[in-house]
Amino acid sequence: MELLIASSSVADAGIGCWDLESGAEQLRYKSCASPPHGLACVGQRFLASSQLREQPSASSGSILYWSWSKVEVKSLPAEPIKPIAANSHGTYIAGGGQSGDIYMWEVASGRLLKKWHAHYRAVTCLVFSQDGSFLISGSEDGCVRIWSLLTVFEECESQRASHLYLHSFTGHTLRITDIVIGYGGVSATIVSASEDRTCKVWSLLKGRLLRNIVFPSVIDAIALDPAEHVFYAGSRDGSIYIAALNAESPSTSSYGMHIIGSLSDHSKAVTCLAYSTGDLLISGSEDGMVRVWDPITHNIVRMFRLAKGPVNNILVVRRPLYLNLGSFSNPHTSSRRHGSQLPPPLDKYVTSADEDVDNKGVIRLPSLYNAPRDASYISHRTIDNHLKELQQQGSSAATEMEVERLKHECNRTLQMVQQWKKMYENLHEFCVNELLDGDQVDGSKRNAV
Amino acid sequence: MARSKAASKKQQKQQQKRGVDFKKIKRKLGRKLPPPKNATNTEVKSKAIVLPEQSVASEKAGLAVSKKGLTLKELLQQTSHHNSKVRRDALMGLKDLFQKYPAELRSHRYAVIEKLRERIGDDDKVVRETLYQLLKTVVFPGCKEDNQGPFVSLMVAYIFNAMTHLAVDVRLMAFKFFDLVVQYYPPSFSLYADKVLQNYEDILRKNQFYLEDKAKLRSALAGLVRCLSLLPCNKRKVDSSEENMAGQKILHAFELDMPAESSGFSSITKKLKDLVPVLVNCFQDFFPSVHHMPLLDAQSFDCMHSILQSIDLVVGFFGYGIHQGKPASQLSYEGPDEAIWDHTISSLLLKKLFGVFPLNPTNHLSEKVDDRFFILNIVITEIFLRCSEWICPPGFLLEKFLQYIENALLGSTCSDSRSGKAVWEKHILLLLPFIPKLVLQVASDWKSCLLQAFTKIFEGCNPQSSLKLACLSAIEEMLIPGDDMVYPDASDPLFEYQITWIRALPQLLILLGDKHPSSSQVVLHLLLRLGQCANSSSPFSREYENMQYSLDKFYSSCVDRGDVYYGPFIRLSWDSQELAICGLYYFSNLGPFLLKSIAFCCLCSELEHLVLFRIIEVLHSAFSAGHIQIADYISFFMTLLSRFKVLPENIYPDVESDAKISNRGTFKLLTNTVCSCLSRIGDDSLVFQILEQVIFDQLLLKPPLDNACALLRVLVVLDCKPTRLSEQGIITLSKYLSGYLFEVVHCIPEDDEENSLPTHQQTCCYYMLPCFFLFDRSPKLLKLVLNLMGSLITESSSSPSSHSYTQYGNDNSNQINAVVSALLLMHKDTKVRKIISSFKEEVVHILQIIHSLQSSDSENMNFEERHKIQCAYSRLKLVTCMLPNEVPAS
Repeated sequence: MELLIASSSVADAGIGCWDLESGAEQLRYKSCASPPHGLACVGQRFLASSQLREQPSASSGSILYWSWSKVEVKSLPAEPIKPIAANSHGTYIAGGGQSGDIYMWEVASGRLLKKWHAHYRAVTCLVFSQDGSFLISGSEDGCVRIWSLLTVFEECESQRASHLYLHSFTGHTLRITDIVIGYGGVSATIVSASEDRTCKVWSLLKGRLLRNIVFPSVIDAIALDPAEHVFYAGSRDGSIYIAALNAESPSTSSYGMHIIGSLSDHSKAVTCLAYSTGDLLISGSEDGMVRVWDPITHNIVRMFRLAKGPVNNILVVRRPLYLNLGSFSNPHTSSRRHGSQLPPPLDKYVTSADEDVDNKGVIRLPSLYNAPRDASYISHRTIDNHLKELQQQGSSAATEMEVERLKHECNRTLQMVQQWKKMYENLHEFCVNELLDGDQVDGSKRNAV
Repeated sequence: MARSKAASKKQQKQQQKRGVDFKKIKRKLGRKLPPPKNATNTEVKSKAIVLPEQSVASEKAGLAVSKKGLTLKELLQQTSHHNSKVRRDALMGLKDLFQKYPAELRSHRYAVIEKLRERIGDDDKVVRETLYQLLKTVVFPGCKEDNQGPFVSLMVAYIFNAMTHLAVDVRLMAFKFFDLVVQYYPPSFSLYADKVLQNYEDILRKNQFYLEDKAKLRSALAGLVRCLSLLPCNKRKVDSSEENMAGQKILHAFELDMPAESSGFSSITKKLKDLVPVLVNCFQDFFPSVHHMPLLDAQSFDCMHSILQSIDLVVGFFGYGIHQGKPASQLSYEGPDEAIWDHTISSLLLKKLFGVFPLNPTNHLSEKVDDRFFILNIVITEIFLRCSEWICPPGFLLEKFLQYIENALLGSTCSDSRSGKAVWEKHILLLLPFIPKLVLQVASDWKSCLLQAFTKIFEGCNPQSSLKLACLSAIEEMLIPGDDMVYPDASDPLFEYQITWIRALPQLLILLGDKHPSSSQVVLHLLLRLGQCANSSSPFSREYENMQYSLDKFYSSCVDRGDVYYGPFIRLSWDSQELAICGLYYFSNLGPFLLKSIAFCCLCSELEHLVLFRIIEVLHSAFSAGHIQIADYISFFMTLLSRFKVLPENIYPDVESDAKISNRGTFKLLTNTVCSCLSRIGDDSLVFQILEQVIFDQLLLKPPLDNACALLRVLVVLDCKPTRLSEQGIITLSKYLSGYLFEVVHCIPEDDEENSLPTHQQTCCYYMLPCFFLFDRSPKLLKLVLNLMGSLITESSSSPSSHSYTQYGNDNSNQINAVVSALLLMHKDTKVRKIISSFKEEVVHILQIIHSLQSSDSENMNFEERHKIQCAYSRLKLVTCMLPNEVPAS
């Protein structure tokens, strides 16, 4: 059960959501204008999207959260953010700024963990590696950089090194339009596309160029075949080229070296591509259509209409477990049920350094809402907040405990009282006896006298 | 030889036989008589005689022989002759033979080398020399393409043997042989590095031998330099060679875990470490000759130079070893690897080499000597600069060197003669790569001195010289902020010079022209890198912006009276053009000034159409990134469409081959590209409003048909149904369109039903289609056009000479014909036919005009004309009848 999510830069089209198998439209969120690479599914719990700025004066570059039930949380970062990415567990959101800075937020708390200057010019796309240990960023200046999160967050590492990044690839001459990374952890291959009409294949392990493929037109989107035999490159001339990744292809191909074929139907430019696990290639076009292709037969299986304007992002996500069709038909009840589950908005600034000491990961207690595997790491401070909340609000168990304790105290006090009373009585008796005895002695003395 | 021996044996046998056959009968017993005095000794003694020359004559037909008629086998045998002259002659003979019969060498090369190698350690000097020549000129070049590994390994053992020979001459010569081997088979050094270096060390240690024989030593040292230059010392070089490999290989090809190269060199670090002190000592031994002899003779100079170069290479290798195998991030705090770089070497260099710096001639005798000292000093400086990356030199030493570097850069230490200048240029190259690092390290007063000197070189040298290239790469290092991405602030002396360099770049680009593509490419690449990092926060952004005012000459410039001077851009190679175009993207505000110059470039017929489309693509990207104003962007496209010269002028080339020359296809593609770019701008109605007036202005200038068609197409693409044209616009357009239709009809040959080719119909369609779209969207436009057509006929009939369209039909009949053809064309299209049917009145009106003309003006017309009009009339009438009578209300 997979969902196809597509977003457009036209605000009234917003985000559309379809069932990939049945083709039924599930949801539509209006008033979302996302730039390319500006839509991310955070841990399959909710969608996050950066917003295009309509007017320069308008409150610019916000990031919106959309839960499955149309509740939104709005955050305003320090500068306009275009590309965003979330790691597969949905723990972090990374955003790329216009000035070339990369921001890293913790989703659960909304804290801005780190912000660093990554590129000379605006960041255009951000991708997490499959295991979430690397962040790959592409920029307007044609530079692709690979950041190891370990290095970025390790204080001493980052201070010692002359640069934060693991590799910096400067082969492209123009803006980077898309980046994909394959499987294979540290030895994965990276494919980057640029406006200079080339796609370049890089090795993450060796940090060098493996292959340079020149296309007949600018490539705006790429998608990797799951077996990594080929990759699909959506171009501005409307066709999707298939480029070989492993074998040496004959150079006599009509399109150019290493390009082995093409899928073509689009009249207008292809703007985004995605590959679903059901062996379907999904492409979004500038004319607002989303096409689903069978990559083997090169035929179109399905078409969806999103908007009049260009489709900017396509995501294929697995349908969340709790999400059944019932909740779609009745969004209001579900919103009431889950409405409060979206995390807080993202911070604008990095919190001061002494507070960073608390930056330790703890495992969040699974709530009823989350699927069990969604156990996520959030900071120690969140737990602190929980404790504080508990202390402030209290709970029935605590009250009971308090009552018990008080009862116990009461009993003990009562016992003490009893004891004291007893002692007093004893003392009294003793004194009385003494007096009586004294009197008796006196009396006897007197008697004796 | 064997034959003669056999013969003698036979003789002996005969003797014995004879003895048996004719046995003497002893007549007397007792004492033997003494032989008579006149007795002849009949004993026959035989001895083998070697007569090689004679024996050849019979059997050598068909075999390869040398000048003296000796075969390969014989010659090889003779090489081990005890007489040195024979040996030498044999070697000469071999050379001879191989030159004549190269195939002989290829087939017997192992046998040959097995024999020849014995001569490496030959006692005779001449023989060795001859052997060297033989190997150098014939054997090695002849065996170049084969697998040389086993071939070389056969020789090397003997070479090493000779290296430990007792005679110094032989030893020195052995180094020369090894040098030869390395020349032809470079990997042999890494294979035998350990042994070779050991041998060099040994021979250089015993310096008393060779000071006399400097010529030999010189060649041996030259061999050492060659060997050491194979050591990896420059990281960048290694990287670039790897980059070139990319793309050709299979992506996930199996690779060996350890690169062969580094494993070969890692083991010899210790040997090299031992070599350095020996070299330094050796250098010191030459000192007396420097100071006492009035002249520094060429041989000692060469020796000293080689020694210094060797030291330099070794130090460079140590530097490389330190860098390699570690991420660059660790370098800054960890310092040099103690295992590689120990302090003994550094202190040795400090004391013995840098201490004596600079070497000065005792008295200034000749410029040549001055230049020689200059070269030596430069190499010492290079060694110093290499070392100073890891060791902290004492302050006074640094001062001394900095002083020298500054003087050297300014050229004051070198003679002024022409040869001196050449020497200076060649050797100052060595220092330039160190300037960027040096500038970062030294104090600010030195910094500005060095930068000033450097800038002087940069500005002074020839644009196409290698010095300029070296300067450019140093500038790139200093301009592009490094990994820390920190820009210099304005107070830094560096900043001022950076601005100077940036300003010099466009000028340099124009100076280079199209004759030096590689240099141009370097400059363009530097400009691109500069643009990439020149964002708004960078101090260079303004400089980069301003560059567009000086870059226009690179593309094209308008001289006067519309003459266009094309810059070097058009004639550069594709890669350079690509770099230049990409650089345009990074101007944060690409102004109309540069756009105009680019537009002229685009209009040039010499420009490859691929480049043209690339320019449009990049400009579109720049526009969508907000780097171009919308008005400039639109006017750029309008200029392209209205000024593009389509060749040839007539639409139908007479000969088929002309179609290949024609750039009409390019223009059609261009029109499509421009249309898609314009429609991608955003709100079409707004763009349409901007464009409407501009296009009308252009149309009223009566551009050629192709350009007009392109402009109309743009209008159609941005328009929608119902039309966005204003009232005024419709009137203007109708006036133009009537003329346009005439023109189309005139340019297209008469379209008969029978012989109309499919290509003709397509062409017709191409020019008519925009009109049809416009008519479809605005029926009013059609009505106006029809009215105008009718009035045109009447006008032209009343005053044939006055009208503006008369160039197409100077007589009435042609005019009428054209009108009718246009109407017929419209009628053919089903969609337009529907619209036309609603304007039957107008068509009928035209018909009536023609009819009246036919009847009235009969005296003015000749028969042919009248016939034409008659034809036209009947054709139109046919069509009119086909139009539905019932005019729909709409």
